[in-house]
Amino acid sequence: MHHIGILQLTQNLDDAVHGFKAGLAEQNLTAEFYYVNADGAVSDLPRLAGKLAEQKVNLIFACSTPAAQAAVQLDGTIPVVFTPVFDPVGAALARTLDKPGGKATGVAGMVPAAAKAAFIRELLPAAKTIGILYHTGDTNALLETANFKQAASELFTLVDLPADKPADLSVLPDRLPPGLDALFLPIGRIIEENFASVAYYAEAANLPVITSHAPNVPSGALGALVANHYELGRACAVKAAQILAGAKPGDIPVGLVDRPEVQLNAFVAANLGIELPPPLLAQAKEIFE
Amino acid sequence: MLLTPQSVELLAPAGTWEVLEAAVAAGADAVYLGGKRFNMRLHRTDTNFDDEKLARAVQYAHKHKVRLYITVNNLISEREIPGMRDYLRLLNQLQPDALIVQDLAVLELSRQLNMTVPLHASVMMNTHNEHSIKTLMDYGITRVVTNRELTLTQLRLLKERTGIELEYFVHGDMCVAHSGQCYHSGIVFGQSSNRGRCLKPCRWPYQLIDSATGRPAAADPGPYKLAMKDMCMYNALPELIQAGVCSFKIEGRMRTAAFVSRIVKLYRQAIDRYIADPTGYSLDPAGWQELYAYRSRDFSTCYALGNPGASSIGYTGEREPRFFSQAVQEAGLAVPAVLPAASIPPRPTVSQFPAERPTLAVRVAGIAALAAAFENGADVAYIGGEAFKPEEPLTLQEIKQAITLAGQYNTQVIVTTPRITMERETGELEQLFTCLEAVKPHGLLVANSGMLRLARQTTSLPVQADFSFNLFNHLTTAWLKANGASKATISLEAAFEQIAELAPGSHLPLEIIVHGALEAMVLDHCVPSAVLAGAPAHACSQLYPSQHYALLDSAGERHDIKIDQYARNHILFAKDLCLLTHLPALLSTGISNYRIEGQHYRPELVGLLTAAYRTELDRLSAGDAGSFDKNLLSRLGAASPRKLGIGAFRYRLSR
Repeated sequence: MHHIGILQLTQNLDDAVHGFKAGLAEQNLTAEFYYVNADGAVSDLPRLAGKLAEQKVNLIFACSTPAAQAAVQLDGTIPVVFTPVFDPVGAALARTLDKPGGKATGVAGMVPAAAKAAFIRELLPAAKTIGILYHTGDTNALLETANFKQAASELFTLVDLPADKPADLSVLPDRLPPGLDALFLPIGRIIEENFASVAYYAEAANLPVITSHAPNVPSGALGALVANHYELGRACAVKAAQILAGAKPGDIPVGLVDRPEVQLNAFVAANLGIELPPPLLAQAKEIFE
Repeated sequence: MLLTPQSVELLAPAGTWEVLEAAVAAGADAVYLGGKRFNMRLHRTDTNFDDEKLARAVQYAHKHKVRLYITVNNLISEREIPGMRDYLRLLNQLQPDALIVQDLAVLELSRQLNMTVPLHASVMMNTHNEHSIKTLMDYGITRVVTNRELTLTQLRLLKERTGIELEYFVHGDMCVAHSGQCYHSGIVFGQSSNRGRCLKPCRWPYQLIDSATGRPAAADPGPYKLAMKDMCMYNALPELIQAGVCSFKIEGRMRTAAFVSRIVKLYRQAIDRYIADPTGYSLDPAGWQELYAYRSRDFSTCYALGNPGASSIGYTGEREPRFFSQAVQEAGLAVPAVLPAASIPPRPTVSQFPAERPTLAVRVAGIAALAAAFENGADVAYIGGEAFKPEEPLTLQEIKQAITLAGQYNTQVIVTTPRITMERETGELEQLFTCLEAVKPHGLLVANSGMLRLARQTTSLPVQADFSFNLFNHLTTAWLKANGASKATISLEAAFEQIAELAPGSHLPLEIIVHGALEAMVLDHCVPSAVLAGAPAHACSQLYPSQHYALLDSAGERHDIKIDQYARNHILFAKDLCLLTHLPALLSTGISNYRIEGQHYRPELVGLLTAAYRTELDRLSAGDAGSFDKNLLSRLGAASPRKLGIGAFRYRLSR
């Protein structure tokens, strides 16, 4: 019987936990789980990680970057398996993806920027100019923005729309240049959390929104190409099994998203007068009404 | 009455199966949860139960001797009625211990379907007086989740007078506004808090500014002027139990198992200890420390022990768990309304009600504005109800004067009542209604089911239902008619398509508000006095008689705060509604009663607006579709204290 701690940042990540547990069962591993959830409060994570350490767990499954960082910073040698961390190297959780080197490994949650650019091309074939609205205070957002610029600059004219505080979203219309065909939202806390205001202005300006944060799709984005958290959790279980069998986490390469899924919002498409391409509709994992 | 373990029910929220199990294991007597449809937590589809899970949840709860209530507490649009009917049939088969409902249509449907599942009135029904409770009891409501603005003393009185079971929020996230009466999210975002989609504008940062100068008010405790702290009644359990509250409700259907489990466990222990030995009970400091250590926001007892004033607000926002939206610029007149193409027939075709000349009603604050309205073609004036500083409440003498004036113009005067009518207002209205029998205005306009009942019982005057009944569907009009209303006002949040679908089947003549300063929120909390003096709310009525304040949001929008004679704050939208250019579409739906909310306007503006709407309505109903004077809009805009906008008409559907 293994003792496994689960350190979760928000309920949004439930699917990853479910996938992780299902994956362990597939590996024929039985475990007692110690589950803690910070319910969105990042500052609670170190204390919650400490609680797991007190339980003397054999391994911590950490959901989200701050949860993984809190788990890695514990004294001692409890191995950590993380997901859906966007940038494990940038977050100092791994030295390199191939050989993390420390006490953590996992599966990164970032869908490759090239795939996102191709997705936007297919979803909005007529789009030429795309605004990138990103949170400057979030390293994940900066990374994704840089990646996207590299991957998409040949396909689209890209316009930078940085936001460094939530109130910047209140005056978004004053900052939107004329001639935009769509908005792309990299991952990033203040944009995700205040998405309703972005959607409000985007609708008024007839701008479709492509997001990186899946819960934004039912809330008014046109579409997203995102990692399936359940699958990420399952892939993490494979790594956890290796560690519980004696492998060092630092030797286990960090996994990448290999089959991202399409999510679309048909209500938004109808409002904007956009016809969703049939191949994407067929491919979509979920179509919100 | 002696206490038994059955005297108090500890009621926990469950968003997922995991939370359900945790709540039961921690000792909840009852749980409440929502299905995938018609429930108040629709932002997060994962925190709801599908039909199959609902069935299993009922079985699971009953196996563990725990009661289970299902929330069906959304307002419903006309087109959702068939779905609601099916859903109620299903729920009746599942036999949970109760349904928690909001829309009056569900009371109608429950009767039609001969449902046997008991109904509880959701907090969204804004139940705060004994007459409302008695009305609901007539419809088989066995329990009321009361307004959070009620104190324990008021709860005890309601319990004594009606005998109904009272459910009260004891822990968790609270609204600053009266529930079911907040239209901010619904009108600005098209995502109604009354339909489970609140985007929490009350959690935005605001500056308090002086309306006259535009300058920030002197003292500023922090930007989050409306951010209520979390309710926590752990320290006041004996008072709650002795007040006759039978169900202690924990808020938070999006919370995690660990969170819910901890709160249930701690309240469970405290309640059990108290009931076993009330005189020997003392607070468990360890329990309190645990609750406090794991709090999200800071705690307040909110209104339970009296109006908490500034102490209930978390001004700094440092403990706000997460945000939902940022302030946005409200839709102005330039934003296109979503109306069906070519919905402009030259002459309205009206099925049910003879549309002669469309009626124009104007709500006014005083006699001068009333005269201006009549002078410029109003058929009806609404007077009374809330008087906003610096106006004084109308005296009986002034009401008589208004009626005399109406006689001269061959028009009508209808006396309105305040939106919120707790003990004081109810007592005063009972007396007013009795006096009005002799004075004989042409009718009454009431704002909640209690005052509808009281008016029917104490007068023979015709009674109309105001927008605060949140009318979205024809079954609600059937309910209102059965309870004595002669006319009904459509919800402020309804988009055009929803209005057009509702109108043909209405059981009552419908009135629609087409112009005016609309109120986003009504609060028992006095924002200026809390910010400026840190004072309890009662001081609000004495403070600043001549000064006016507004809240400035981060989009640069200014929300004027209007203070009424009961010290309530009414927070206005930044833009006033103006549907002048959409009258053709509205007439095409068959609606023949139109209203200007002019109580916040000076008499000159009331006159100008009345003339404009009168002219347009007459022109259109005479079949002249061609000659709208575009300069008129700019004239109205220039004369208005705030910019004009189209409210919910920017949306195809209010969701």
